[in-house]
Amino acid sequence: MLTNNPAMESKYHSKLNGDTALIMGMLALLIGVEGFVLYRILSETWEIAGNFFYLYVIFVGLVVVIEAIGCLSVRKSIKNHMFEFRYYD
Amino acid sequence: MSENHESGSLVKTLRPFHVWALGVGIVLVGEYMGWNFTVAKGGVLGSLLAMLVAGTMYVMISLCASELGSATKLAGGPYDWARLFVGPGAAASVGLAVYMEYIALEAADAIVVAFIAQSIFPELQVFPVTLLVIALLTFINYRGVVAALTLNFFLTMIAFIAIVIFFFATAFGAVDIHPEYLFQGALPNGMIGLFAALQFGPWFYLGIEGAAMCAEECKHPSRAVPLGQQAGMITLLIGAAMTLYLCSVLIPTDMLGVSVYPLFEAAQNSGVFLFIAALGLGTFLTCIASANGCVCDSSRSWFALSRDHYVSSWFSAVHPRYNTPYRAVIFTMPVAIGFAFSGFLDQVITFSIISGLLCYVLIPFSLIRFRNLFPETTSKVRPFVGPLQPFIAYFAIAIAITILSTLFWGYKYNLIFGFVFYGIAYFYFSHKHKTSTAENNWAEMGWPAPKGSEIARTGKEVMGVDE
Repeated sequence: MLTNNPAMESKYHSKLNGDTALIMGMLALLIGVEGFVLYRILSETWEIAGNFFYLYVIFVGLVVVIEAIGCLSVRKSIKNHMFEFRYYD
Repeated sequence: MSENHESGSLVKTLRPFHVWALGVGIVLVGEYMGWNFTVAKGGVLGSLLAMLVAGTMYVMISLCASELGSATKLAGGPYDWARLFVGPGAAASVGLAVYMEYIALEAADAIVVAFIAQSIFPELQVFPVTLLVIALLTFINYRGVVAALTLNFFLTMIAFIAIVIFFFATAFGAVDIHPEYLFQGALPNGMIGLFAALQFGPWFYLGIEGAAMCAEECKHPSRAVPLGQQAGMITLLIGAAMTLYLCSVLIPTDMLGVSVYPLFEAAQNSGVFLFIAALGLGTFLTCIASANGCVCDSSRSWFALSRDHYVSSWFSAVHPRYNTPYRAVIFTMPVAIGFAFSGFLDQVITFSIISGLLCYVLIPFSLIRFRNLFPETTSKVRPFVGPLQPFIAYFAIAIAITILSTLFWGYKYNLIFGFVFYGIAYFYFSHKHKTSTAENNWAEMGWPAPKGSEIARTGKEVMGVDE
């Protein structure tokens, strides 16, 4: 839904970009930290963990992929309803 | 157009950062203490797997809670979702489970705050300080939810930033670490340890679903709940990974498994005063934030149970000036004190985990029922549409049941007691509300009739049955 008020639309899109940047920044940090920790622990314990490392890869993949898709859904929902529910007034 | 329904007169002022503060505030204490029991069971590798498996479950649970919370916009959270989409027995069980989960956690947090205060000022006694902490937090929540959650935001942010700074300083070599600890304590109990460690995995995230319980008090619940909850979930995932790494490279595994304050101990082992002070302060603040959030969530659950006459409706009163469910808030105090001075802190915490896991079975189940009853996606019914449903709901239930089954090792009687307690609640409230003619008034919520209700109504009319 769009309005006939360009100033309001501009403000809303700016605020939406703020929400997007926040979530994308946190997702980037999540991927970086999970990758670093997984790499450091598995590389030090590879003699033991090498037999079942795929368990870690599967679950870290699930965490990151589901969370990333979830965040995209949150953004899509905010974008769809921001004018209807006047989120940023 | 407003998305707010008239329901009671709780004030609708909360924003996404309040939702974040409520969810993360309750949970972050689990990263300062408690999670390290995973190391005692399964070593560093068991702890890492427990963190990832529990993380997967909580990501899925939080997506379910975001969708349900932003749709229903009610204070009872899991209780209201089960009431609307499952039935009275499940609703009462999950309502009580949420209440017990948070109030047991509040009691444990208050005791830890008292012990920390005593370690700093030895002349203090644990009993009166615990009472003081519980009374003070009850008063703050009595006065208003905005003040309570704004306080939580600052306490939680300080505690989280302390972990982040400590982690980056360690990762960039500012602290001497011991990578050999990782190998020495990798898997002390063999492969069975990997499985046994799962039972303490929820400590990293226990309670994040409670963030959605302030939906009724949010200004824009369809934005605040999903945004605040997902931001909170990412915060916890980051905090959990950082915590596990920091403690594993700074504390020998045999000591880490039994440590009371592992992050603080890791900071002490780093030998850097700045980190010792920051993590000591973080431990203290996160306990207060957790107890504060628990008062908020447990009182809302009791308020919702009371509003629907599952318990005395006397508790459903809203304060005329502060717009808080003040009787439900005050009632948290005697119950928390009872838990705190039962003398069985570990049993209390285990009961909290069992209660939480029961919720993690019923929250995704409520979502599956919600999707079946209301398949349409409209702004009124489902403003936030969670992804990959209902597959992740089924997967979350499977993981929750798996983790619940691991409690059989070491907590068999707690598990049996939990099942008996919630089983009795289920059958008692199912029986009590069986004769009730009251039906969910979907029209009052602005929702259409649920799928199948038209067929049922037509069938009754054809058979001449009075409703």
